[in-house]
Amino acid sequence: MNHNEYLPFRSEIKEVIRHTDIEYTFRMAYHGDVKPGQFFEVSIPKFGEAPISVSGIREDSVDLTIRRVGKVTGEIFERYQGDSLFLRGPYGNGFDMENFRGKELLVIAGGTGLSPVKGVVDYFSSHMEETKGMTLIAGFKTPKDILFLEDFGKWKQAMEVILTVDCADDDTACQIGLVTQYIPKLKLKNKEETTAIVVGPPAMMRFTTQGLLDIGLKEENIWISHERKMCCGIGKCGHCKIDDTYVCLDGPVFPFTKGRKLLD
Amino acid sequence: MGYILNTKEINEVFQNWKKDSVIYAPILMKNGGAFSDTDSVHYGEIQSIDEIVFDQKSDFSFKEILLPISETLFYFTEDSVKEPEAPVKQAIIFLRSCDLHGVKRLDTMYLHNGAEDPYYKRLRDRVKFVLIGCKDSFESCFCVDMGTNRSDDYHASMELWEDGVRIDNKNPEWDELFAANCSKQADVIPSYVTETETQVNIPDSLSLDVMKSSMWKQYDSRCINCGRCNFVCPTCTCFTMQDIFYTDNGKVGERRRVWASCMTDGFTDVAGGGSYRQNNGQRMRFKVLHKVYDYKKRNGIHMCVGCGRCDDVCPEYISFSHCINQLEDAMKEVNGNES
Amino acid sequence: MDINTKELKKNAFRVTKHRGLTASRVRVPGGYLEARFLSMIQNIADTYGNGTVHITSRQGFEIPGIPFADIPKVNALLQPIIEGLGINQEKSGEGYSAAGTRNITACIGNNVCPYACYNTADFAKKIEKAIFPNNLHFKVALTGCPNDCAKVRMHDFGIMGMTLPHYDADRCVNCGACVKACKRKSTGALETVNGKVTRNHETCIGCGECVLACPTRAWTRSQEKFYRLTLLGRTGKKNPRLGEDFIKWADEDSILKIILNTYDYVAKYIDTTAPGGKEHIGYIVDRTGFEEFYKWAMKDVTLPEEANVYKPLYWKGVKY
Repeated sequence: MNHNEYLPFRSEIKEVIRHTDIEYTFRMAYHGDVKPGQFFEVSIPKFGEAPISVSGIREDSVDLTIRRVGKVTGEIFERYQGDSLFLRGPYGNGFDMENFRGKELLVIAGGTGLSPVKGVVDYFSSHMEETKGMTLIAGFKTPKDILFLEDFGKWKQAMEVILTVDCADDDTACQIGLVTQYIPKLKLKNKEETTAIVVGPPAMMRFTTQGLLDIGLKEENIWISHERKMCCGIGKCGHCKIDDTYVCLDGPVFPFTKGRKLLD
Repeated sequence: MGYILNTKEINEVFQNWKKDSVIYAPILMKNGGAFSDTDSVHYGEIQSIDEIVFDQKSDFSFKEILLPISETLFYFTEDSVKEPEAPVKQAIIFLRSCDLHGVKRLDTMYLHNGAEDPYYKRLRDRVKFVLIGCKDSFESCFCVDMGTNRSDDYHASMELWEDGVRIDNKNPEWDELFAANCSKQADVIPSYVTETETQVNIPDSLSLDVMKSSMWKQYDSRCINCGRCNFVCPTCTCFTMQDIFYTDNGKVGERRRVWASCMTDGFTDVAGGGSYRQNNGQRMRFKVLHKVYDYKKRNGIHMCVGCGRCDDVCPEYISFSHCINQLEDAMKEVNGNES
Repeated sequence: MDINTKELKKNAFRVTKHRGLTASRVRVPGGYLEARFLSMIQNIADTYGNGTVHITSRQGFEIPGIPFADIPKVNALLQPIIEGLGINQEKSGEGYSAAGTRNITACIGNNVCPYACYNTADFAKKIEKAIFPNNLHFKVALTGCPNDCAKVRMHDFGIMGMTLPHYDADRCVNCGACVKACKRKSTGALETVNGKVTRNHETCIGCGECVLACPTRAWTRSQEKFYRLTLLGRTGKKNPRLGEDFIKWADEDSILKIILNTYDYVAKYIDTTAPGGKEHIGYIVDRTGFEEFYKWAMKDVTLPEEANVYKPLYWKGVKY
């Protein structure tokens, strides 16, 4: 048989980082080209596959941050112990760093939406000289849901960071409020030239992109990433199709000019 | 080359083909219909020409031969994955012109849209096509309007006439076989229809704006989201993955894919509860625009081949062609709203 | 006026409340007839009756207001109907020749209804041919599926159509339509296991909802037709009750044989002093015990291997 894209390979779990009770990052052995925003189909054989974005990239590993929300991710949480997972990928276009270099950069992420864009934040936090300044707004539901808390310290040293939660019932180090409310207060050097990445749940992306347009960002300078059901990751199964676009092949990262036209 | 063979002669040809091929054609499934004492016509393996149903449209298309309804991708054991063996035999598929155009749609998705699909490819490479000419169209056919009423893309064509089975052969490997078994050679041009009772008009002005039309609302209540229209369609290609472990040995299992339908619940569900297109009217809009609008934007040809099977199968008497014919007014409606 | 009412009744005429006038009872097995017979019935009503017709509760026509003297002429006009409906007749031209065993009723069946699992009218005619004419009081009814539109459980013999669903796992896409239909509309006999469907043969009632719901023809009907036979339901003053399930997955031949055998049993055990010589079979079974009935009814019956027989049976019903 010709090259079989459906066959997964076994990948060793090098480390498990627990962010919350239901969100872990699995550091998986992987050698090869990967871009932030791309995804792997991750599976536990006999239980199923789920598309998971790459949340960190190293020489010999990729980070896959998995939220326990369904049958497959549930099994991954139950069964990962000391072992390995099956992967295939990476799939999708991912974020192309060339679109962000030399720009004033604004990243707005909601919940697990931080995962696909985390690689971009990681990269520029140690290469700030390649930007004209960078701001991260990360919103979560409650303090318990915050992902990558240990990374925020490092990011704060390099860039402007607003960590916010929708609601909190105790004193927390972060601010309270939706990500959109910080947009008008942003002190951007040149709004017309600022490049923004917005990733999160559909409603959050809709309101956030509108907020950015309202303060004067150009729509061609906004990038988004879509989450859809994907069974194959290679443009066959049809679940992720919107209009003439296959999110798995042509996305999941889209310039907003294209992404805003993708109506399900 | 054209040949005219009698029943005995054509069955000799079939015998010869069967040495290394399985012959698939529309056959009558006695009592195979959903209602009692009704039959159905599906694709199945045949031994002789009299098993082929020439005078009816098959309820399901040839698609299930190239894209099995439920297909095992690989088996899992403790720590390995193993692909199932490919079939050893070649396949010869009898089909009409609309369906032959449907093959092109399957090829587009499975060979060209993203990485090549190895399971499709290995079946596709083994297939030859025999065109069943259409002397007349059926009530729901609209192939002429979709430009699929004629095809030259066959290995051979076959039709029943009073003087025998008329064959046009384009496959040089078969010439000797046909010649050896035939009493008459003649020029044969496969029949095709030039007019259909059902006609469709896909407006040039069609755009995504049509999703705002009120025309889709009727389907919210009329459609029962059963997915029959997708399953009988020769061009629908969606599937869903299934992982299972065998109940008698939990250490062993398989990953398979099964046909999926964009009309049924769950098609767009993402982990965590997200779901798109909750109502049936919007699912209908998604399907119809895929068939006669956005597929063409991406691939240059319309997806729908006008076979009309979706009309024939709908238990709620929803007509796809009738829906297409509402698009022009729907565009006027949405454009009117904007001005 | 001198009328032998016993013979009158056996000739399918009845004693009415109007002295001197009778009513002709036209039996239509399975309630299925060609429309052309309707004008013949109209003709009888207009010529010898009072111009009205009652559509009976057992799917016949009752033509009232006929003077006794006109009975022979009415019988002459009934002849083409009797022949056309395939009624067993003792002597040609002399009308219907039975009164005890009642018309075999049926729902419309698979001539029209999508749910029906067989042709109820055809089977009704077959039973008609086998058991008529007969003076014993038997009621038989047929219904196409377990919806039981024909209310067969109120009959001595109730026949409900069943199909044995065949499952082709290779055609199943796990859409869940059959499981949902079975759960919501029938007995919940289907379950999804490993992305495919399993059927519980014990709880399955063969209604065919799975076949109707299946969009890929993974579920299809069996080539053979099966029936559920319910036993000894009855209406009446004493102790009306619903028939109980006797055999599931029975076949046509067995049912015919069981009905015929029961005639022998009744002939042997009927209370000869019963009013009008009629006694519901159930009362006889109460007297002899179910085992004796079973022994007679099942004589030389070979059921299909799928069949489930339920016994002994107990009936409830209304008691005063």
